[in-house]
Order: sequence, then structure tokens, then C-alpha cells
Amino acid sequence: MENEKRIAENELFTFIDHDSIESERIIAPRYSYWRSVLRVFFRKKSNWVFIALFVLLIGCSFIIPIFAPYSPYENVTVPSTYHLSPAKAMSYFGGGGLKWILGSGGTGNSIFYGIWSSARTSLVLAVICAAINMTIGIIVGALWGYSKGVDQVMLVIYNIIANVPYILVVTVLMYVIGSGFGSFIFVFTLTGWLGIAYFFRTQVMIIRDREYSLASRCLGTPTLRIVSKNILPFLVSVIVTLLASELPSYISLEVFLSYIGAGLSANVNSLGRMIQEAQTAFLIYPWEFWPPVAIASAITIILYVLGQNLADASDPRTHM
Amino acid sequence: MKKYLAKRIAFSIFSLLVVVLTVMTLVYSLINRTVIFQTDDAWNKRSNNDRSYYEYTMYQKYGYLEFVNYKTFLAQKYEAKVGSNYTADKAYSADSAIIQNEKKYLDNDSVKEFISTYENEGYKIVYLKPILYSNGKAKPGGTGYLLATKERHMVVRLWDYIKQIIKVESKNDVQDPTITERYVRWEKDPYNGFYARVGMGTPHKYQLYFDSRFPFIHQNKIHLNLGISFTKYRGQEITDVITQPTGDLKTVRTQYPSKIGTDEYVDTAIDFHKLSWNYGELTEADKANYPDKYTVAGYQRKGLSMLENSFVIGLIATVCAYFLGLPLGILMARKKDSLVDKIGMGYIIFIIAVPSLGYIFLFAALGTTVLNLPYKFANAQVKILAYVLPTISLALPQVAGLMRWMRRYMIDQMNSDYVKFARAEGMSESEIFNQHISKNAMIPIVHGIPGNILGCLIGAIITERVYSVPGVGNLLTTAINGHDNGIIIACTVFYTSLSLISLILGDLLMAKVDPRITFESKAGR
Repeated sequence: MENEKRIAENELFTFIDHDSIESERIIAPRYSYWRSVLRVFFRKKSNWVFIALFVLLIGCSFIIPIFAPYSPYENVTVPSTYHLSPAKAMSYFGGGGLKWILGSGGTGNSIFYGIWSSARTSLVLAVICAAINMTIGIIVGALWGYSKGVDQVMLVIYNIIANVPYILVVTVLMYVIGSGFGSFIFVFTLTGWLGIAYFFRTQVMIIRDREYSLASRCLGTPTLRIVSKNILPFLVSVIVTLLASELPSYISLEVFLSYIGAGLSANVNSLGRMIQEAQTAFLIYPWEFWPPVAIASAITIILYVLGQNLADASDPRTHM
Repeated sequence: MKKYLAKRIAFSIFSLLVVVLTVMTLVYSLINRTVIFQTDDAWNKRSNNDRSYYEYTMYQKYGYLEFVNYKTFLAQKYEAKVGSNYTADKAYSADSAIIQNEKKYLDNDSVKEFISTYENEGYKIVYLKPILYSNGKAKPGGTGYLLATKERHMVVRLWDYIKQIIKVESKNDVQDPTITERYVRWEKDPYNGFYARVGMGTPHKYQLYFDSRFPFIHQNKIHLNLGISFTKYRGQEITDVITQPTGDLKTVRTQYPSKIGTDEYVDTAIDFHKLSWNYGELTEADKANYPDKYTVAGYQRKGLSMLENSFVIGLIATVCAYFLGLPLGILMARKKDSLVDKIGMGYIIFIIAVPSLGYIFLFAALGTTVLNLPYKFANAQVKILAYVLPTISLALPQVAGLMRWMRRYMIDQMNSDYVKFARAEGMSESEIFNQHISKNAMIPIVHGIPGNILGCLIGAIITERVYSVPGVGNLLTTAINGHDNGIIIACTVFYTSLSLISLILGDLLMAKVDPRITFESKAGR
């Protein structure tokens, strides 16, 4: 006790010079938006499971078709290979690894290879369509919501097109243009962005007139900068929510269109076409019908749930 | 309010026109028009020039073009010149035979006149050369034709289409000199003892009548015509196709109009309330059975029409969905984050994410194997059971949608100030939920009700296909596969107008439920 008292004060404290730059620094943990998003996202254990499933699905649908190219007509000349149940197909072809694990289809084709090859088509289609529609939709929607002149013109266009049932638009266009992979994307993206843009317009309008935005405008920030710096960051979670419902919707739509006979042409393998071909006898040959349905459902559910959880995580209010 | 409504309706009609014009342009100009003959037997039977000529008559019927046959032109010319017996005229036969001579026909004066008249009117002259055997005789269907054709402009086509959509019968419609007195009046209906509005000079005899079939009061005065089918129901009016019962003929013991009062009864399926004017010659039997020239009759059929089938299934499903979905949504909101809520959310995600095809087939598989319900509509032993599975598979997804939005709106309302205030006042939770929150949460739900009910008229594509329901849901999709442009246009008009009407009705209903919503712009706003 006494020893301590004897230490002179000038030994305990040292004078330092005033540093004006250092004094401005905020001593708080650095906040990174995206790091927080990931932290919140991975805090939920179920997301790990969904991510693992997602990686598995992507891996299967992109790797299996490379090593085992799917050809629907390889056994078309051998009618005894048609409609074989998994057990019969395995014994008929003598095992053959995974190839016949799900049986054979109406042309002696391997269902297992078929679903992965088709899943790849569906995934690529969904990603391309969603990318195009979201990009156009967000850009147009942001300008639409921000500028009142654009709003008046776009509302008339929107009111005309939105009144037409989407199924009508898609089926009539598919009928008119034809049914290749390219025309499919064209049909989906021709009017698909409009709904996204309209949804976005409303969101932008809500934020447009907030005080900080108003202040920014008073200080002379150009429109494009207000849109990109003040408004869009606010809408990240909205964008992700939209994406979560957009991606699965294209897969469902492809399945639906193939089912009604307006789908992709016969030389493209797709889940919709597999389902369409198997649906007439789905009670007799269930192994041909349920695998593509299950894969399509699995892809859409996983994409939806992951997207929703990512959207929750990208809401800054959950970053506490 | 009236001004706003008028504006809305005007804009709706405008957008309907734009949509129909766009679809017409797409369908008529981008689709190869020869596809309409793919399954046409009459076309297959014909060959050579006869086939080409048949194609032109069909193109004219379906509104692609207008054409004039040289023979018609000649007939008119000579009828004016020599009277109705022109076929015996030598000059006429010479002029009409000349087109079979490929080398000389252009030197003929009538042909020259025909070509110059119609070329001046913007027609294109088409000469179908006679196709001959080496001995100079015409091959089957090889006779030559001389035609003047003109493509119809898209706007003209749209206008003609619009003109024929609504037809109202009047007593001056039938052009026939034998009619001495034209009237539309109330008369005693001999078939049921009630009164009916009977016309003379109108295309249909009974303008308004009652019978035992739902909705018990029927009319033949106003006809809605959405166009004619090209390939699927060759030449039939689409409105008739979808509104007439599809079952077997329904034979009843009745009397012909002339035999009323006698004891001569017949078993027939003829529907005497649908009698229409016979423009041709009456047969002896017609003269004996009918007192007038209203002898063309339709038949009575059993069962429901395509439209009714879809509407019945859809309406039951919608009503069930509202009665199930709304309470479940409220329950989920009240027990937020509980087990009930989680199960409900799982179901909602399942319906949203799984392709509709997947779960409809799942319901079908479960229903047929576990519950042993009939699968295909036509094979059902007990007809009423056939409606069960389609109704369920339509209702279940709707339930999910309603649950989802009801829960969302309820939770949004639960955080508002008036709820906190009500709680502070000491109201019980169930009072707050039932009397305040659910009422406010219902407002956006109400907006969708007219759309859901009118949407039943469109039918359900997948459900009706899976269970082979004879409904209207697949009208558009089968039309597209069968290249039936008439049905495609009709569906466009029908679907678009239904969605326009339901939007307006939804807005009106919402304003009715919520007094805060008005459509009048207030001064100073």
C-alpha cells in the first residue's frame, strides 16, 4: 500500500500530444452490412441444412449430366425396356450403378439421368429469367417511382398490360413465337419485369419522400445518386424477398406450360416435359412421375426458403 | 363517384380494345394461316383448285380476307341484263366457260371488266389455272377459278368483331314477305301454362320464357357472340359451345306446336322454346307440325354446360376457401410463433413453392387411393362424387393464399395504436381480435372477392385436365394446341373483361366496407 503511494504521479501518467485525426476516430466495432447479413443468416441452424441440400442439387444437376449424358432414345428400339419399375430395370440391365435406380421411362430412358439433365435446364432457365426480369424491373421501377412524369406514362401502360391474365400472355406468345429455349426466355421476360417494376415503384415512392431523402435533394444531389445511394440500399431485403419468390415461379411456370402442351420443344429436356409425358399413367407408372415432381418441388422449396431467410437476414433491424 | 366510375369504365374499355387488337395482330399475322386445315376433313377430301378455293372460302369465313368469285360477278351482271333466267343465256355460258381456257381468258370482255373493277377497288386478282389431263379434260378438282381477293385490315377486323359481339333481336329482323303482322307480345305459353313473350318477325319465336331449368327464366332476345371457333368446334359460336349442356339428349313427352289441344303426343328432345325462323323451304312434316315458319329447333340436353361445370366447382371451392382460410389465418395470427402457426406456415410455403401440378396430382393420388373417390370425371358412378376431388384441389391452394394474407394483415394491425389503446382500456383479447383487428384486416381481403368469384367462370386449367372435367378451363390451351384462332380471341376478350370487371367491383366493394376510402378527390388535396 505504502509503496504504491510513493510512486510519483508523473510516473503513472504520461503526457501525449493532441492528435486531431486520432480524436475523430470512433472506437466501436466496425459494422459491415454484408458481414452482418451473413452472420445473422448462418446463426440459424436450418439454413446450413438447406445450403447443403442446395449445393447437392446444383452439384448433381450440373455434374451428373457431364459424366453421364442423358439420351432419351438410347433404348427406343427395345420395347422390352419401356416402363420398367426400379427393381425390374435394375435386374434387366444388371445393376448399372445409379442409372436405373429410379426405373425406366416410356422410351426405355433412364429416369435418374433424365431428372438431373432436366433440372439443369430448369435451373438455368430460372436464373436467366430472374436475372433479366429483376434487373430491368428494378431499374425501371426505381426511375418510375422517383420521377412523376415517368409515373404517368408507365401507369397507363401498366394498367393495360396488368389487366391481361399472365397465362394468356405467356401461352399466346409461346403459340405465336414457337417453343425454343430462347423464345421461352423472351416470352418470360417480355412482360415479366412489369410486375416487379410496379412493386418496386410503390416501395420507392414510400422512401422517396422521407426526410433524409428530401434533405439530400435540397443539397443538390443528382437524381441518379439519390436513387442509387439513398433509396436502393433500403430495399435490399425487398429485392431478396422478390427474388425468393421469382426464382421458383419460373420453374413452376415451365412445368405448367409443358403440361398444357405449350412448353419447351422436344429436343430440350425439361422437368415439365418429363412430368407431362408421365402424367397420363401416373397411377400405373408412379416411378416415372414422382421423381421429376419431387425434384422440381425440392428446387423450388429450397430456393424459396433460402431466399426468405436471406431476406430476413438482410433486414438491418435483425442485426442486433 | 359517378364521374370516377365512368372514367374507370372508359379506360377499361380502351385497354380491352388495345389488348384485343394486339392479340388479333399477333394471332392473325404471325401464325401461318394454313394450320387451320390440318384436321379439316372437308379440306382433305378436296384436291387441286377446289382445295384452294375452299381455303379462300374458309379464310373469308374466319375473317382473314374478302374475295369475290368471277362467277358471282357474272351472275350479278347477267341478272341485271337478262333477268333471273340468265343461266340459259348464251353469252353468259361463254363468259363463264372462258376462264377454263388458260390462254384466252384475258381477251374476254367480262373478264377484263372484272379485273379492272376490282383492281381499282384495291383487290388482288388470283387466277387458279385449270389443271388438265393431257386429253384436255379437267383433273378432279382441277377446274379453273378467277377470284379477286383483298386482305382485311386489322382495324376493320377488330371493328367487325366488336359489331357482332352483342346482337339484340327486334321484330323487323326477319326479311320475309309472308309475314303479315309483326309483333312482340305476352302470350300464354302452351308448354308450361305461364306467360311468355312471343315474337313474330324476330329470329327466335320465344323472346322471354320460363321453364324448370336453372335459372328458370330464359331469354332469346340478347345474344352475346364472342366469335366462331375455327378448328375445334368448326364454325360453331363459342358462346353456344360453352353455355349449352354437354350431356345426353333429354327426351320428354310433349306436343308439336300445331298439335297442342289434340291428344297427339311425341317423345322428343326438341326444345320448343328455342324455335327460330326457318329461312329455307318448309318440309311437309314441318308444315304439319308447326303453325308458322319457326321450325328450326335446338335440342335439350342433360347435365351442365361447360361454363356451369367450371363455375359450380370453382364457386364451391371459393366459398369453402373463404370459410376455412380466414378463420385459420386469424387463428395463426393470434397464436403467432406457436405450433399451429408453424404448421400453417409450412403448409403455405408448400403451396407457394411446389409447382401447382405437383400438389394437384398429390391430392389426386391421395384422394383416389386413400379415400377411394372417383378419379376421371366421366367414369364416376355417382356423379356428385366426381365433383369432390376437383373442388378439394381447387380449394386447398386458395385456403393457403387466404391464410397467408389474413395472417399478414392481422399481424400488421396488431401493432397499431388503436389496439394498444383498446388493450389499455381493458378490452379482452377476443374482443379486440374479433371486433377491431379482424374487421380492419378484412378490408384488403374484400377487394379480392369479386375477382375470385368471377374467376370461377374462367375455370381451372390443371385441375380440369387432371380430372377430365368438361369445363371451360382448357378452352384456351386446347385452342392453342389446335390452332383455333377464333377461340383464342374469344378467350382474350372473355378473360380480360372478367378481370377488368372484377377489379372495378373489388374497388367498389372495398369502398363500401371501409368508409374511409372514397374515390372523390377532395378539394385542397
